[in-house]
Amino acid sequence: MPFDPKHSGADQAAAQQRFLSLFLRSEREVFRYVAALVPNVADAEDIVQQTALTLWEKFDSYDPTQPFTPWACRFALNKALHWIERRQRWQGLLAGGLAEELANRREELRPELERRLRHLDACLNKLPPEHLKLVEGYYHRRTGIEALAGGSGRTVEATYKMLQRVRHSLRACIETAVRQEGASP
Amino acid sequence: MSLLFPSQEFDEAVAAVCHGQASDEQARALNELLRVDAAARDEYLLRVELHTRLASDAELFAAAAGAAAYPDLKALGSARAPNTVALPQRGSGRRPVVNWAIGLAACFLILAALSVAWFKRSSSRKLTSMAVAMLSQAVSPRWNSRADARAVGTALEPGWLRLKSGLVQATFYSGTRLVVEGPAQVRLVSPGEAFCEAGRIVAVVPAQARGFRMGTPQIKVTDLGTEFGLDVKRGSAEVHVFKGEVVYQAEAATKQNLKQGKAIVVDSDGVERQVSADPAAFASLFGLERKWLAALDQRYKDWRTASARRNLDPSLLAHFDFEDIVPSEWTLHNVASWVSRAPDATIVGCQVTEGRWPGKRALEYRSMSDRVRLNVPGEFQALTLAVWVNVKGLDRQFNSLFMCDGFDPGTLHWQIRNNGALDLGVQGPRATDVQIFASPPVVGLNQFGQWLYLATVVDGKRRRVIHYVNGTVVSQHELKHPPPYRVGTAELGNWNPGEIPDKPPFLIRHFSGAMDEFALFNRALSDAEIRALYFEGKPQPDN
Repeated sequence: MPFDPKHSGADQAAAQQRFLSLFLRSEREVFRYVAALVPNVADAEDIVQQTALTLWEKFDSYDPTQPFTPWACRFALNKALHWIERRQRWQGLLAGGLAEELANRREELRPELERRLRHLDACLNKLPPEHLKLVEGYYHRRTGIEALAGGSGRTVEATYKMLQRVRHSLRACIETAVRQEGASP
Repeated sequence: MSLLFPSQEFDEAVAAVCHGQASDEQARALNELLRVDAAARDEYLLRVELHTRLASDAELFAAAAGAAAYPDLKALGSARAPNTVALPQRGSGRRPVVNWAIGLAACFLILAALSVAWFKRSSSRKLTSMAVAMLSQAVSPRWNSRADARAVGTALEPGWLRLKSGLVQATFYSGTRLVVEGPAQVRLVSPGEAFCEAGRIVAVVPAQARGFRMGTPQIKVTDLGTEFGLDVKRGSAEVHVFKGEVVYQAEAATKQNLKQGKAIVVDSDGVERQVSADPAAFASLFGLERKWLAALDQRYKDWRTASARRNLDPSLLAHFDFEDIVPSEWTLHNVASWVSRAPDATIVGCQVTEGRWPGKRALEYRSMSDRVRLNVPGEFQALTLAVWVNVKGLDRQFNSLFMCDGFDPGTLHWQIRNNGALDLGVQGPRATDVQIFASPPVVGLNQFGQWLYLATVVDGKRRRVIHYVNGTVVSQHELKHPPPYRVGTAELGNWNPGEIPDKPPFLIRHFSGAMDEFALFNRALSDAEIRALYFEGKPQPDN
């Protein structure tokens, strides 16, 4: 299945370049779109990868006058729904049309979400070093939870709990920042 | 369980979802809440977005922790892209994302990396599995879609089996076997429970799996250690007890027992009637075992025919089919036909075991001294290595497939790393001058115990190395070292460091598992040829 037989040689290489430069620019957005439905990072990444394969297969049908990200997100939604279908737990979470509802609502809320997440950077900097290290390990370095737990002498469960608390304090910090913004426009 | 918002339980459920740790109960409760409570939904979206940003915005950490700029391409980027070379990278440590991404070589790498996405899932980060059953047999299955297709031997997670036609058998970890005839839609729920939306099923429930529950839209059946048939069509359901006894409960009715030789029919109006069990109606399902063995035997014969034809290929330097190994004899015959072929090989240690088909032989490698030694003289412009292996585990840092002795110029070292990556080293003019080509991880827990076709092409003319798993390209790399390439004395499944002055203590690199075919060609086989070889040799007659 490696390469599209429709293209050959230079055409193929050029199409790949076009595809990759578009996809790589959109990938972060596609990931966030998918992760709104399937928040577990590893699973969301898998869906994005599967989506990328489909996008490349369908790349012939992409209209270059249209923005790439929404085109990609349509396939990502299908991939995500398909993926969910085979996993009972996610199916339970997203059943009854909730997946589509979340995707739509996220679109509506986007300015609101942006206004808040602008403060994430500053709020991260206010975290105690230990918390920042944990968040960085988990999200950025993608260290496994066992290793994170082992490294800090906590149990796995306590480490998950701590991640939850750190996100909670980031959430609180963001809310404070947004309120202050409102107070002094 | 039902959730309130705001509440501690809500907080916990959202966190659990983010960590991929939510229970079924939490997932369902969250679903119920989010569908009715708009405020909870918005809060949920915000929290998930916060979590998602942390996972996808590398700049946050570049600023916060002073870390080097890291490409924000986790899904595609360095974590997944095949690392071609273990040698120092050119240029500075900083990786210019764009240049890297649009380089032509990188394009190939990325697309190849994408094509193994499905492999990667199985070699996932944590050693956990949600599987409840495995697909143990299949005869001419046609699945509803490609995404529904399951190969024999794969672990089945909770979810649907959607079959258009044919027969498959799912063996639950509880011991229950379900033979399903398509068209059918069956959902696996847990090791002790399944649901049949439509289709015909024969369930064989051994004593230790007593209590197995089988749902249908019309009727629920709880098994008391039996063999029973189930036929679910649009609106109606039939349960036939062939052995033992079951308890059944139609909607809103009380539970009733149904004994051996009896059947219950519930029609679309919910009217029940008892009739005699009719094993003849399920005859096609009882024959699965026989059909399965016959289909395997046919595959074996087809492979033999194809293999005899392949042996006439003049580029075939060595072909070991392990067909005629005798435990007392230590010779492995090279069945390639041309005079230019390499001499027979010598078996050291190893056990004779069953190969891809009943009656087919293979060699099992267990101990650190097990190996097959061979000698392939000559110099080559290209080489193709291909092997059928059944990996038991990746116990060593490097697990040998085919390894030339020592580090002579132009020689090859083909192995599987302990992370599951297929790895080929090509020696340059000096011992330190090795170019290493590693695929993304392709052999993981889900591949252990299954027959895999691994192939690698070293193409001196086009200066590239391509790795294949089961006939599909998994990665492609640029080859710097020019031909000729050499083999000389070499080993299958182990490595001999050879004549190296002041030998350091070398890593133990023996293979753990079984090998039942190896071929070495002195040319670069094409994608299509590798695919054809895979289809000729694949053990299962499924799809």
